[in-house]
Amino acid sequence: MTDATKVAAAASSRDPAVGLAAVASLRGLLESLEELQVTNARAQGWSWQQIADVLRVSRQAVHKKYRRFGF
Amino acid sequence: MFERFTEKARTVVIGAQKQARERGADTIRSEHLLAALFDVPDNLAVTVLAALGVDRDVVESEIGKLRPDGRPTPDAEALATLGIDLDEVRRQVEEAFGPGALDRTRAASSRGWGAHIRFDRTAKKVLELALREALLLKHNYIGTEHILLGMLQPANGAAHDILVSHGVRQDATRILVEEFVRGRRAG
Repeated sequence: MTDATKVAAAASSRDPAVGLAAVASLRGLLESLEELQVTNARAQGWSWQQIADVLRVSRQAVHKKYRRFGF
Repeated sequence: MFERFTEKARTVVIGAQKQARERGADTIRSEHLLAALFDVPDNLAVTVLAALGVDRDVVESEIGKLRPDGRPTPDAEALATLGIDLDEVRRQVEEAFGPGALDRTRAASSRGWGAHIRFDRTAKKVLELALREALLLKHNYIGTEHILLGMLQPANGAAHDILVSHGVRQDATRILVEEFVRGRRAG
């Protein structure tokens, strides 16, 4: 807890190394969450178009990214 | 060998990985197996330990005294700077999608997140000895009680040291296990 607060304080130092690392980690987390949700949506029978609409991306984009997953 | 593990014993083995990860450890060690026993409701190992005066608090406090392990993962640290608690995210995701869901994604494994943590020598030894204890007691399954007995073999890492320092001895524990098992079968 206090550790996190300490780190949070460090972020306000505007140190690019800290800020950029945070962005990279956030992107990683985003990728995992998107993959989970897309997988789940496909498992529930959603079409690529439906998924794309909610993700607010094109159908092609989501299909291209996830079709190799085999669903 | 795992096919002979009871469901609770399997849960302990899986739980040890979670224990190790949450503690920032780079390997799964015997003390993580010990801590994981307390995450499985109503198991014989914990019942036996309670009879010997060892509960979760005792174990947690002893593990806390071991060399500090670990730092949170770099990702957890980086996300904390944005006010995001990765452990909390992981918890929420696992609630919806099951244990390990977040770390099992391809995206995570390509980043080395779900990186498989190995069982170290002490943890492997505990599991091997659990099998031996089951054979010794002529039980045809490996339960949490056998994992506990496996920890009590000398030189079996921190779990052994913690238990022995609280007066848990292998021979006495084995007798207690036999009594409990017999009692359970009788009724």
